[in-house]
Amino acid sequence: MTTSAQNLTSRNERVINTQTLGALPSIEYGLIRAHVFASLVTLVISVLFGILVATKFTFPEFLGGHGWLTWGRLRYNHTQGIFFGWLGNAFLAFFYYVVPRLANRPVLSRRIGWFLFWIWNFAVVLPGWVLVAAGFSQPLEWAEFPLVVDAFVVLAFILMVFEFVLPFLRARLSDLYVSAWYIIGGIIFTMLAYPVGNLVPELVPGARGAAFSGLWIHDAVGLFVTPFAAAIAYYLIPATTRRAIFSHFLSLVGFWLLFFTYPLNGTHHYVYSAIPMAAQKGAIVASVYLGIAVILVVTNWLLSLRGSSGTVSKDVPLRFVWFGVVAYLVVSLQGSVQALMPVNRFIHFTDWVIGHSHLAMIGFASFIALGGIAHLWQRIPGTRYNERMMNWSFWLLAIGLTLMVADLTIAGLVEAQVWQSSAPWIDSVRAVGSYWLVRTLSGLPILAGFVLFWISLVTGPKLSEATKSETSSEASESVVAFENASPVSDKLSSTGWLSYAYVVAFGAGVGFFALSFLVLAILPGKELEDEIKRVAPVTMPMLTASEQRGRVVYGREGCAYCHTQQVRSLAADVRRFGAPTEPWETKYDYPQLWGTRRIGPDLSREFNLHPRDWQLAHLYNPRLVVGDSVMPSYPWLFSGSPNQPTQEGLDVLAYIQSLGRARQLSGFDRQTLASSVQFETADMVMASEPSARATPPVVPIAMVGGYSLSAPVLHPASDPDDLQEEVSRGRTLFAVNCASCHGSTGRGDGKASASLLPKPANITAARFSDERLSSVLWNGVAGSAMPPWRQMPTEDLRALVAYIHSLHVPGAAPSTQDVKTLHEGKSLFGANCASCHGDTGAGDGPAAGALAPSPTNFHLKKPTEERAWDVLENGVPGTAMPPWRSQLNADERRALVEFVRSLYGPPQENSTQ
Amino acid sequence: MINLIVILISAIMLALLLVWWRWPAFRVWIEAPKYSMLRRERRFDDQITGTRTGNELFVDGGHA
Repeated sequence: MTTSAQNLTSRNERVINTQTLGALPSIEYGLIRAHVFASLVTLVISVLFGILVATKFTFPEFLGGHGWLTWGRLRYNHTQGIFFGWLGNAFLAFFYYVVPRLANRPVLSRRIGWFLFWIWNFAVVLPGWVLVAAGFSQPLEWAEFPLVVDAFVVLAFILMVFEFVLPFLRARLSDLYVSAWYIIGGIIFTMLAYPVGNLVPELVPGARGAAFSGLWIHDAVGLFVTPFAAAIAYYLIPATTRRAIFSHFLSLVGFWLLFFTYPLNGTHHYVYSAIPMAAQKGAIVASVYLGIAVILVVTNWLLSLRGSSGTVSKDVPLRFVWFGVVAYLVVSLQGSVQALMPVNRFIHFTDWVIGHSHLAMIGFASFIALGGIAHLWQRIPGTRYNERMMNWSFWLLAIGLTLMVADLTIAGLVEAQVWQSSAPWIDSVRAVGSYWLVRTLSGLPILAGFVLFWISLVTGPKLSEATKSETSSEASESVVAFENASPVSDKLSSTGWLSYAYVVAFGAGVGFFALSFLVLAILPGKELEDEIKRVAPVTMPMLTASEQRGRVVYGREGCAYCHTQQVRSLAADVRRFGAPTEPWETKYDYPQLWGTRRIGPDLSREFNLHPRDWQLAHLYNPRLVVGDSVMPSYPWLFSGSPNQPTQEGLDVLAYIQSLGRARQLSGFDRQTLASSVQFETADMVMASEPSARATPPVVPIAMVGGYSLSAPVLHPASDPDDLQEEVSRGRTLFAVNCASCHGSTGRGDGKASASLLPKPANITAARFSDERLSSVLWNGVAGSAMPPWRQMPTEDLRALVAYIHSLHVPGAAPSTQDVKTLHEGKSLFGANCASCHGDTGAGDGPAAGALAPSPTNFHLKKPTEERAWDVLENGVPGTAMPPWRSQLNADERRALVEFVRSLYGPPQENSTQ
Repeated sequence: MINLIVILISAIMLALLLVWWRWPAFRVWIEAPKYSMLRRERRFDDQITGTRTGNELFVDGGHA
C-alpha cells in the first residue's frame, strides 16, 4: 500500500514537472533509431566494399570474374555508400535529435520524416548501389550514382528544408546557435550545389565540365560532410561538458569563412591542368584561407574543451569528437599544403591523396558522427550503449585509421618519387605493392571498430544510472551566470538592426556561393570556350558511334579512377606521356573523364601506342601482357578468349585507341612548334604561361609515334665477369618485363602469345646485333605488341641486350656458304624479296615504308636455319610476310635461307631501318 | 578576380572584428546563443531525467 502510494506520488510529480516545463517540443525517437540502424548497416556494407577494393590491389583476380564485383563499380559504391548511406543517415539521425532542442520546436512532420527515410534509403542508397553494380552509373567523382537517383537526392534535400530548416524559421529565434547555422547552411547549400555538380558536367564537356566537377568534389565535403560534422561537434562539446563553448563569435566567423572559402577550393583538384590558371590560383588561395578558417574553428573547439580532459577521457562519445577535431585540423592543414603548387606537382594523383581523403571521411567526419550517435543513444528512451564495447571500438578505429593514413601517405611519396624518375610506370605499382597490402590489413581493425560500435549500441544496459546522475546533478556555471545577467533583448533595444543580421548574413552566404560558381566555373568555362573556338582544328574528328559506346563502358567500369586523361603542364608528365592536354582536345567529352588518381598511366595519348591485339589481351587479362599489373580483368567483355571480344569489348577498344587521335592527326603540335620557343623543363613557367602548355615534348617516354634516331646502341660489357653480372640482371628483368609475351625461355610462348598477332618473337631463333636489339628496346616494334622500353634505365636495357644474346643457340650445322647456292639465293631474293627487304636485305625496299612491322633487316638479325625455313614455309601471320611454299620449290627456299643468313653483319651500303 | 575575393573576405572579417571590438552590445548578442543552447539542453535533460525510469511520458515514436 505504501509502495503504491509512493509510486503514485512520484508519477504525479513527474507529470506536474512535465506540465511545468510544458512547451518542450517532441522528438521523433522512432526516426532517430531508424536512421541510426540504417547508418550502421550501410556503414558496414560500404566498408566491406572498401576492403574488397583494397584487396584487389594485392589480388587483382579476387572476385573478378563478374562485372558486378569489379574494382570500378565497387569503388563507386564504397564512396557513395559512405557519403549517402553512412554519413547521410547518421546526420539525419542527429538532426531529429538536435533540431527540436536548438529550435525549441519539433521537426515539421513525422510523416515527412518517414517519407524522407524511405526516399533516402530505398530510392537513393539501395537503388544507387544496385544500379552502379549493374553498370548504370555516372563517372564523376562523388557523383557516381546515376542521374535518376540524383533526382531523389534533390527531392530528399527539399524535404530536409521543410523538416529541419522550417522549424528554425518558424521559431524566429534571436539566438540561433552555431550548430543550427551549420545545419541550415549545409542543407540549403548542398541542395543548390548537388544538381549543379551532378548535372552540369553532363551538359558541359571536357575542361569546362571539369571546372564544375571540381567544385562539386569539394562541395560534397565542404557543404555536406563538414557543416553537419561541425554541427555535431559544436553541439556535443557543450552538451557533454555542460559548459558553453569558448566563443560563439569565433564559431560564426569560422562558419562564414568555411562557407565563403570551401566552394572556392574545388579547382585545386586540377592544378597544372588546362583549366585557366586564374581559376587554379583562386582555388589555391581559397585553400590557404580555408586552412586559416579551420585553425580558427579548431582553436575554438579546443578552448571549449580546456579543463575538460577528464571528461574527454571518460566520456567515449566526447572522445570520438575530440579525435575528430584533431583529425580535422590535421587533414585541413594537409589539404591546404597539398593545394600549393610545389607540393601538388609531386603528390597529386598519388596514394597520399587517398590517405588524405580517408583521414577526412573517417578521422574527421565518421569519428564525429559516431560521437554524435553514441551521445544521443545514451539520451533517448530505452537505449544505452555498452561502454566497454564502445571503448574498444574507439581504439580499433583510431589504430586502424592511423596505420592506414600513415601507410598511404608514405606510399604516395614513393609513387611520386618513381613518377619523377624515368622508370617504367609499372615500377611505381611494384614499389607500393606492400603498402597496398598494409592498407588492406589496416581496413580490418576499422571494420571491426565499426562492427563493435554497432554491437555496443545493441548490447548496452537499458538504464544508465551514471548518465542519470550526471544530467540531473551538474549545474552549468556558465548558464547560471548568463541567467543572472539581464536579458539580451534589453541590451539590444537600441540595436534592433542586429535582428536583421541573420538575413543579411544569409544573403551574403548565398551570394558568395553563387560567386564561387561564377569565378571558378562559369568564367573559366567561358574563357575555355573562347580558347577552344580559337584554337581547335577545324578537322577535329568526333567520336564514332562505337567509340561513344565504348566511352560509356569505360566510364561505367571506373577506368577514369585509375587512368587520368589529362597530361599536366609539368615536365615529369610531359616527359612520360607527351604534350600537355589542351582544352580543345576535350571538346566532345561528355562528361569529362579527367580523373584525379593514377594507378595506371595517363591514357590521353593512347592513340597508336599499343596495337589492337595487345589492347584486347590487356583488357581480357592485364597480367597476360603486363606481368605485375593490378588492373582488373574484364572477361565479360569477351566470349571466352581475348580473340573473341563482344561488341562492348570492341567498343571499349575503339574508344581507348581514339584517345589522343585528334591531337596527332590535326598537326596541332607542328603548328604550335613553328610559332613557339622550345621549353626546357620550367614547370612553373609552363603552368603560368598558357602558350607554354601548347609546346610539345621533345621525346615523350611513352610515345611510340615515330622511330627515334636518338636510340643509343647498347653494347654489353666486354669483361666476362661484368658480362655475367649483366646477363644475370637481364634474366631478372626479362622475367619481370618480357616473359609474359616472350615466355620464360624467350621462345615467344608466353601467356599472352596466343592472343597476339604477330606472335611475340622467338628470340632464341635468331641472332640479333646490338643495334637491332637497342632499336627494338628503345622504339618498340611498330605494328606489333612490342612496346618501347626507353623509360628503363640504360643499364637495364644493356643488361637485357646481354641476356638476349645469351639466349641465342647457334645452329648445330654451320651454313654451307656454297658460292653457287648463295648466288642462286641472291638472284631469288632480288626477284621475290627485295621490294620489301631491299636489294641488300637491309629491310629498306620500296614497299617497306608502308609496312608495319617493318621487313627484317638481315644485317642486324640472323635467323637460325630452322626459323628462316619456317618463315619461308608458313610466312609470318600478322605481318606482310607471306608463305612461299607454293611459289618456290624446296631447293629455291633452301638457297634463300642460306643467302639471308649470309647477310648478317655490316652491309656493303649504308642503310637505315 | 581572385584578388577581389581575397580582399572581400579579408574586409568582411576585419569589419566583423571591428564591430566586435567596438560594440559591447554586439558582443553580448553574438555570444547569447551559446548560453541559451545550454539552457534548452538542461530543460530537455531535466525532462529526460524525470521520465527515465518510466515510459509513461513517451509515446510510440515520439515524446509526449
